[in-house]
Amino acid sequence: MIVGYQLSDLQRETLAEVFNIAMGRAAKAMSNIVNEEVLLSIPQIRMVPRSEASSLLGGPEQRVYSITQTLDGEFHADAILILPQARSMDLVRLMLGSPQQLELVTELEREALTEIGNIILNACIGTVTNLLEGQFSISLPVLQSGLCGDIIESHAARQSEEDVVLLLQIDFTVEKHSINGHLAFVQTVSSFQALLARIDRFIEKAAQG
Amino acid sequence: MSDKLRVLIVDDSSVSRMMVKNQLLSQQPDWTVVEAANGSEALARAAEAAPDLITLDLNMPEMDGLEAAVKLHEAHPQARIAIVTANIQDSMRQRVQSLGILFVAMVDKPINEAGIRKILAGL
Repeated sequence: MIVGYQLSDLQRETLAEVFNIAMGRAAKAMSNIVNEEVLLSIPQIRMVPRSEASSLLGGPEQRVYSITQTLDGEFHADAILILPQARSMDLVRLMLGSPQQLELVTELEREALTEIGNIILNACIGTVTNLLEGQFSISLPVLQSGLCGDIIESHAARQSEEDVVLLLQIDFTVEKHSINGHLAFVQTVSSFQALLARIDRFIEKAAQG
Repeated sequence: MSDKLRVLIVDDSSVSRMMVKNQLLSQQPDWTVVEAANGSEALARAAEAAPDLITLDLNMPEMDGLEAAVKLHEAHPQARIAIVTANIQDSMRQRVQSLGILFVAMVDKPINEAGIRKILAGL
């Protein structure tokens, strides 16, 4: 744990619960896309060196697609949807419904994945910002393809020089089709105090009923 | 409902328990509340408190809400159970319904005044 950036138990679990509610909404959006149930893990919150973040998100050597939207405002965070490439075509097929010609699916793959990301990330980010009552600008979704480690590294590097990030993570599975993935919020510690202030306000309001 | 009911609030998030408790007590100030942070703790608390109403989260470590609902209902058939959940997928709704327990209500998180009213109306 990094000195000066500690979360109290109440702050940590409030953050986890906000994320849990947000991901619940996102999972509903996702289950509407794939017409299957989406299973969610318990949310995890960790303060980690950014070089370690990718090991928690499926492993640095895994080939993935990532769809990212960036929140900018009181605090700065990247919301990233990570999908292993091995099963991403299945996800696209489920989204498009009836069996499509392979060529057509391949052509549509990037566009479809970007849209999947857009729907899921918006459901999640929208709920987080509503619950925390912050004002943020949210970027358009950006699709990247590559090794998970390189992608996470590039995000964190773009943000700042800091070596430590706050990682909020939920893993999801579409069991019937063996599709899995991760949704992560990666936040640099420089805007950590602003996030904590929002969490404290949420707790204060909760205590007032 | 004029009786003073005993309520067991089950949620792994203490802030969510606090929200349910405050919202509930603001509408029913005389009711008594006990809390549990997971399914197994809920079973222990229920054995002591014999609750009339249980509010139950679904996504919890150790014993999840679905398993807890079945066990709580077995041990305390008189207690009415309301589901308070962030998992708002239709499939989860169906799974909850397929348990064969008559739930008071299934309300979305975060809990608000309307959600509590829905639970109270179901009693």
